[in-house]
Amino acid sequence: MPLDTSAYSLALLRVDGRRWNELRRIHAQIRTQAAADGSSYLEMGHTKVMCVVNGPSEPGPRRGGVATGGGGGGGGGQSKNAEVAVNIVIAGFSSVDRKRRGRGDKQVFELQSTISQALAASLHTHLFPHSTINISLHVLSQDGSLLAALINAATLACVDAGIPMTDYVAACTAGSTSTYAANDEGADPLLDMNHQEEQELPGLTVATLGDSDRVAVLVCESRVQVSRLEGMLAVGVDGCKQVREILDRVVREKGIKMIQEGTVERGVGLNDMELD
Amino acid sequence: MPITILPPKAFREPPRNLHHDSDDVMSDASSDSEDSDSQPGGVSLDSGETIHPRKRRSAATTSGSTFTKRPKTANITSSISVPRSAIVTPGERITTDPQWMRGHGTYLSSATLGEQAITSSLAGIVTRTNKLLSVRPLRARYTPEVGDLVVGRIVEVQAKRWRVDVGSTQLAALPLSAINLPGGILRKRTETDELQIRTFFAEGDLVVAEVQQLFQDGGAVLHTRSLKYGKLRNGVFMAVSGTGGGSGVVRSRRQVWTLESANNGGPIDVILGVNGYVWISKHVDPVIPEEAKNQQTGITNLEEVVSATMYSSQNDRIEPETMREIARIRGVVTALVENGLRVDEDMVTKGYNEAVEMALVSEGGPEDVYLGGERGEQLAAALTGRLA
Amino acid sequence: MPREAEPSANEKAFLLKALQDEQIRLDGREFDAYRPLELTFGDEYGVANVSLGKTKILAKASAEVTVPFADRPLDGIFTIATELSPMTAPHFEVNRPTETEVLLSRLLEKTVRRSGALDTESLCLVAGQKCWSVRVDVHVLSHDGNLTDAACFAVVAALRHFRKPDTSMENGVLTVYTPAEREPVPLGWLHSPFCVTWSFFGDEGETALLDADWMEEQVRVASVTISLNRHGEICQIAKLGGVPVEAVALLQCTSVALTKVKEFSTYLDSKLAEDAKRRDKGGFMAELRAENDRVVG
Repeated sequence: MPLDTSAYSLALLRVDGRRWNELRRIHAQIRTQAAADGSSYLEMGHTKVMCVVNGPSEPGPRRGGVATGGGGGGGGGQSKNAEVAVNIVIAGFSSVDRKRRGRGDKQVFELQSTISQALAASLHTHLFPHSTINISLHVLSQDGSLLAALINAATLACVDAGIPMTDYVAACTAGSTSTYAANDEGADPLLDMNHQEEQELPGLTVATLGDSDRVAVLVCESRVQVSRLEGMLAVGVDGCKQVREILDRVVREKGIKMIQEGTVERGVGLNDMELD
Repeated sequence: MPITILPPKAFREPPRNLHHDSDDVMSDASSDSEDSDSQPGGVSLDSGETIHPRKRRSAATTSGSTFTKRPKTANITSSISVPRSAIVTPGERITTDPQWMRGHGTYLSSATLGEQAITSSLAGIVTRTNKLLSVRPLRARYTPEVGDLVVGRIVEVQAKRWRVDVGSTQLAALPLSAINLPGGILRKRTETDELQIRTFFAEGDLVVAEVQQLFQDGGAVLHTRSLKYGKLRNGVFMAVSGTGGGSGVVRSRRQVWTLESANNGGPIDVILGVNGYVWISKHVDPVIPEEAKNQQTGITNLEEVVSATMYSSQNDRIEPETMREIARIRGVVTALVENGLRVDEDMVTKGYNEAVEMALVSEGGPEDVYLGGERGEQLAAALTGRLA
Repeated sequence: MPREAEPSANEKAFLLKALQDEQIRLDGREFDAYRPLELTFGDEYGVANVSLGKTKILAKASAEVTVPFADRPLDGIFTIATELSPMTAPHFEVNRPTETEVLLSRLLEKTVRRSGALDTESLCLVAGQKCWSVRVDVHVLSHDGNLTDAACFAVVAALRHFRKPDTSMENGVLTVYTPAEREPVPLGWLHSPFCVTWSFFGDEGETALLDADWMEEQVRVASVTISLNRHGEICQIAKLGGVPVEAVALLQCTSVALTKVKEFSTYLDSKLAEDAKRRDKGGFMAELRAENDRVVG
């Protein structure tokens, strides 16, 4: 199904009616699973993922050689940093083609490794020697920007689990309206690509640390002119900052609700800080 | 190479977070991230309208039906307005003033971004002790402190110690030298004890213990050198969240007490481990054999006698009435946690009394111990009403 | 699984101190300099032997006629297989892919296959029935860091060097000719992508190095692999986590990478030309021409 790119140049509207710099609706919740240390549910448009974090905790004696779930950021076992183990399950019904993914799927392995290493750089793993932070992600529905949604959900769940971190790792995708062959200067960068756009147009996934311009993850899997990169990266980094604000709002609202309900006592407000 | 992009059209700023606005009061209605199924667009960037808390609150209250099903607790407390600045989130700067010292939950942001600032690494609330600033997380795993009473589960037996799961980030250690050995408190540890280590505690046993000391890296060392501590039997275990943050067990005056239960249940022991692990069991008086009673019972002698049953894993006979009341207390604790209330002696006792009364008026009669769902909410509402 | 021994704390500190305070690498290279890259072709077509310092990689391309995939009847099959055996380093095991191996094979896949370097449609012989299956086996013979760049170079070199047997279709009969009957033909090649890997050091990844050796790889805090061709098209970028790096620095890395890729491209072209000349002299064609030139003496 070729994407009708001519429509964009006429109305400057994308297939789903967004403008170039608009994110899709992001809806997120934290503390969705009572049994876990931390959990989250995140929707970016029609991409829907759930995340559960258990730990940091020290694995007991290993019985019968349990295989670790995926990429180990920072090494496990008796190291002086906590290991971040990520496990991704992609539901068979999550995409249109009902593709079954085996355990040894390299693409899933790469996703796990990426998320593990990206979070390990932000989480203060040195505080938890010998421990493992188990992050389990479930993909319920896919409509583009999968890696970005997974990173955002994992970040939220880690915040919920109370694991100290430098800052949020927020991610989003950016694309370009030009195909790789067309070297037109008028091509616009696009923010937050959906599945259809990902199929047709070049794009990349960016994750940044907090409010800074520092890029934790940059994955580009399509052919694109090198001159397009700067624009796409700029839009992507800006999008990450927007995503960070959204994630931050979700956490704050949950915290304020807990204070209102009396679960947590109020602390010293930031404004009282300067008094003495 | 600076990053610049020329926008093809006017770029509308997304609604930026307003958390620097201290008087931006979040109402309860606008913070219902869980209820947004009924309110589409909980967080939307695509529209030009920024989120107006007041506007959304009025919309929510006029529609009315959204909140009728909510527990009363929320309505009671929703009158308290909480400024957004009450919460700090990861990456938020707390202060750049160098007179403060940084405590848990904070780090010093790097100097390359200007002056060094004490920055939060958690979502939580700021607390200060003299010049020490720390952030208490909204929720986290249990962090052990010396003197804490904890309930734990043996997960590994090693040569001279046990590894105990206490719900912390690391397993705690219980050295063989830190338990009461059968045959008196002053007995010296021998090699035979090391060989028989599993006869004291084996994998899967539950223990109540005290944190004796902490390692540099945060690991805890436990001890059970008191008659109050040791192996647990005759009851049920439950895990709620501990003092790491959020609701659950809080540190209080008494973590262990005996409750005289209703409906012929007899006395019931409740142990609220500071780590969030709870043990509810039938109270068993130390069995003192007749011949021992007749003798002059000194304290060491009593120890000796008691320690014979100390490491038994056999449950005593428990009457159905007692079991029912144990289940009722368990239901009370669950209801407290589910409704975000703290778990301590006061709350559990009051909650239990309330539950007994509720059972009397319910269809099932006094034998009805169900405290889930609406019954739990009802219980919580009654408790908060009374306590407020 | 035997774990690889990490460099000792002392060694790490030494390397980082030299790098950050003195701006010196252990082997004295410039930050943006590669180790000597050498390429030799085997006697057969499609064998490329690449060495980058002490890193040695052998890539062998081969082709056979098979049935195309049912969902892609007009495309041939192209696979890249990577092999990291215990020969490379003791912690690699046979039949259990390590993280290094999976990520390497994904990177090669994205760089060469997904970017469309090889024209898979030209591998089709009879639509839906017969096609060429081209396979490149990458064997890592010695691992001293920067496998990605060396492996990618080897794969591209092997494929560009490779000749598949010539075929013809006449009246529905497919004939595959042996090299003696007809000179084998090169693959339909569209562009040559190369990987350039930057490694970052320091708390905020402020120091960037090209072509890190094994020691540097173990100490680095983040890395980014950028695949480009000499026309300035990005085929793939992979910064899979690690310490965050300034976006501007990444853009600079990309532009430096482009100049490196152009150097690779020129080097490969000259090597291919050299090899073609060598083969031409004593090759089959020369033999034929020698007959015509024979002077009766």
